[in-house]
Amino acid sequence: MASNPMQQFTVHKIGPEIKIAGIDLSFTNASLFMVISASVILLFLFLGSKEKKIIPNKIQLIAEMFYTFVAKMISDTAGSKAKPYFPFIFSLFMFVLFCNMVGMLPYSFTVTSHIIVTLIMALFVFIAVTIIGFLKHGFKYLSIFVPSGVPAVLLPLITVIEIISYLSRPVSLSVRLFANMMAGHTMLKVFGGFVVSLGVLGGWLPLSFSVALTGLEILVAFLQAYVFAILTCIYLNDALNLHH
Amino acid sequence: MKSFLIMFIALSAINTDLYAAEAGMPQLDPTYWASQGFWLILIFTILYISISKFYLPKIKDNLDNRENKIKEDLENANKFKEQSEDKLKEYEIILENAKKEVSKIHFESKNILDKEIQSKKDMIEKDIEKELVKAQKDITELKKNSISSIQKISENIAANIIENISGEKLNESSIKAAVEDISKKNIGKYL
Repeated sequence: MASNPMQQFTVHKIGPEIKIAGIDLSFTNASLFMVISASVILLFLFLGSKEKKIIPNKIQLIAEMFYTFVAKMISDTAGSKAKPYFPFIFSLFMFVLFCNMVGMLPYSFTVTSHIIVTLIMALFVFIAVTIIGFLKHGFKYLSIFVPSGVPAVLLPLITVIEIISYLSRPVSLSVRLFANMMAGHTMLKVFGGFVVSLGVLGGWLPLSFSVALTGLEILVAFLQAYVFAILTCIYLNDALNLHH
Repeated sequence: MKSFLIMFIALSAINTDLYAAEAGMPQLDPTYWASQGFWLILIFTILYISISKFYLPKIKDNLDNRENKIKEDLENANKFKEQSEDKLKEYEIILENAKKEVSKIHFESKNILDKEIQSKKDMIEKDIEKELVKAQKDITELKKNSISSIQKISENIAANIIENISGEKLNESSIKAAVEDISKKNIGKYL
């Protein structure tokens, strides 16, 4: 059992190999857990919006809480102009949250612990925000790199820093989520390994750590989904309301 | 802290051997990157479309419905409150009028009763006066009668007393005159 704590992150294909134009697009355990997470979200939303009650039942209440939570997050950070992007941010938040939460189940696979997955999402957000910015403001969007009220001497330096910080957005966004998820699951696995190797006599301490870490990881799972969504909102806000 | 540590591991893994999945992180094995990207995009697109087309409008509808319902109910409540206040005012006016009417009726009936009582009292007083006058007449007549009969009795008694004492019979007319004389002198004591 004292296996490599990174083994939980291996991807292996399930079922037949699918190759399109020489690229391997096989269905893997990662894909399976994406499907599971998405299905759980859709089932949850289906149950939550099935009965349109004035006084909601529990699941409807939770679905509505998610709705108002994300709606409030968007209106607080990006204002009313961001309303058309609400479905996307809601989907993003739900997807990341449920992938993280499904990953907390034992023997499951954490989709968001893979840099490629988070990087694709972050790049999509980054490119989409940049396109939106240019569509809304044209070349004036470039003024995002030139903050107002900066002394002329410092301006070239600040502009370079701004450009670097802008370009590093997808990296920070993706690495934050990926690293948090991977680190948490690795720690859980390591402590789990300690429990087994120390046995009945010594295993209690790492077991208690494991229990505490599980609670912490559930918090992190929620927090990272929230951070991912709110950073998307903030980037969107920069693109929609240019106030530099 | 934790994430920095992992970042360090990741970076060192990248530096030493980019594709060393077996040794370090399976995340950096590019075998299934395309597959993960493909499935991610496919599944997320499906998720996004079904959420934005079906579920969010439903939830929004429901939330709006509830808000409208609450607003409507509040409006209705206000309306009913106003109505009840109006009714209360009406009721108070009716009560006030009724009170006025009651006092009016009270006053009128009191007046009528007072008048009736007064007239009855007057009548009874008149009757009593009549009776009094009649009684007075009777009394004076009775007195006169009684005086004359007392005189007769006194005459008899006097004649008898004199006869018994002196043994002689006196003239009836002289006795009568004497009694009359005495009674005239003393009549003021009895009348």
